[in-house]
Amino acid sequence: MEQKPPAEEHTAQKQPRDAAYWARHVEKLKVSEVPAEAINLNVEGRRTAGALQGFGQLWQKTYRIYLGTGVTPEEVVRVWKEKFSEFQPPQNRFYPSLAGVKPGEMLLINASMKGMPVYTGVIVLYADEECFTVMTPEGHPESGWNTFSAYQNEEGHTVAQIQSLARANDPIYEMGFRLAGSTEQERIWTHVLKSLAAHFGVDDPVSLEKVCVDPRLQWSNVGNVWNNASVRSMIYAVSAPGRRIFGLLRR
Amino acid sequence: MPAKHLEASVRYPPGERAGAAVIELRGEIDGFSQEALDAAYAEAESRDPDIILLNFSEVDYINSTGIALIVGLLAKARASRRRLLACGLSDHYVEIFNITRLSDFMSLFPDEESALTKSAGA
Repeated sequence: MEQKPPAEEHTAQKQPRDAAYWARHVEKLKVSEVPAEAINLNVEGRRTAGALQGFGQLWQKTYRIYLGTGVTPEEVVRVWKEKFSEFQPPQNRFYPSLAGVKPGEMLLINASMKGMPVYTGVIVLYADEECFTVMTPEGHPESGWNTFSAYQNEEGHTVAQIQSLARANDPIYEMGFRLAGSTEQERIWTHVLKSLAAHFGVDDPVSLEKVCVDPRLQWSNVGNVWNNASVRSMIYAVSAPGRRIFGLLRR
Repeated sequence: MPAKHLEASVRYPPGERAGAAVIELRGEIDGFSQEALDAAYAEAESRDPDIILLNFSEVDYINSTGIALIVGLLAKARASRRRLLACGLSDHYVEIFNITRLSDFMSLFPDEESALTKSAGA
C-alpha cells in the first residue's frame, strides 16, 4: 500500500531535528496578515507549485558572492532574513508577515516586470540558521524554489549563495523568460547579493552558474496559464478605476 | 552534533524483482550530499533498470537543499523514462514530500518489500 499523509495521532513520535525548520503541509495557501500598502492577490487559496509542477525548462541557477572572513554564515543568514525586503531592487517589493522569515510564513510580492504589474507571493518552505528556502504558488512566474544560504568555503571565507531550482509556470512565462525575463531575473538576484554584500562592507562580483536540469517542456501543465498572476494582476490594475466608481456608487 | 554525511549504496534485487535497483541512503541529505547521491544514481542506472527505489529508512535529516537534489534525480529518471520510487520515509518526511509536491511524481511506500511488490508490473 502506498504511504498516505501522516495522521494527527502520529505526531507524538520522535521528530527528526530538521522538523522545526520545515513549513507544515497545507492544501491551500492562506494569507493571514497583509501590510496596509501591499496588494494581496494570486496567493490566497492557491496551492504551492514546485519545480516539478511548472511548464518550461527546469533550470538550476546558482549565484555566489564572497564576503571574506569578517562575518560568519549564521550572521549573514540572520541579517538576510531580517532585511530580505530591503535587499530587493526598487521594482520588487516584498512584504513579509509580522513573524518574518519563518517556516510556513508568507511573503507577498508586488513587483513590476518590464512595466507590467505582478502581484503574487511565496511561502517560506524551510528556514534554519544557515539557509532559508521559499516556494512559489500556482500562477507565480516561476514554479519552484529559491534557497538563500551562506557557508564557509575551504579557505575559510564566508560565501553567500542563492540557488534557484525552477521552471516557468506556463507557456506565456516561458516565452517571456526566453525573450528577456531570464536576464531580468538574473539582474534581480545579482542586485540582492550585491546589496547583502554592501551591508557587510564588501564590493565583489557575483558569479552565476546555470544548469538546465530538464530541457523538456511539460505540455501536460499548459493549463497553468489560467492562474497566470501577471495576466490577473494586469486585469486587476486595469479594472481599478471601475472598482473605485462601483465602490462610490454603493455608498 | 557532528554532521553525518550521506552514504549511499546500490543493490540489485534478484529474481522477480530483477529490473529494479535499490539505493540505500544513510545519514543526512543536504548540500554536501550531491556527490554521493549522483554517484549512486549513476551506478544504479548503469544496469538500465526500469525502477530505481530510494530507501530512506536510515535517513535522519533532510534540508531544503537535499530535497532539491532529489528533484534533480527525479528529473533525470523522467528524462530516461524510469520510475523513481521512495520507501522507508517517516511520517515527518512523508509530510515534507507532500508540501514540496514531490509525492505528485514519486510513489511512496512504507518499505522496500511493498515498493517492489506493488510496483512490479504497474
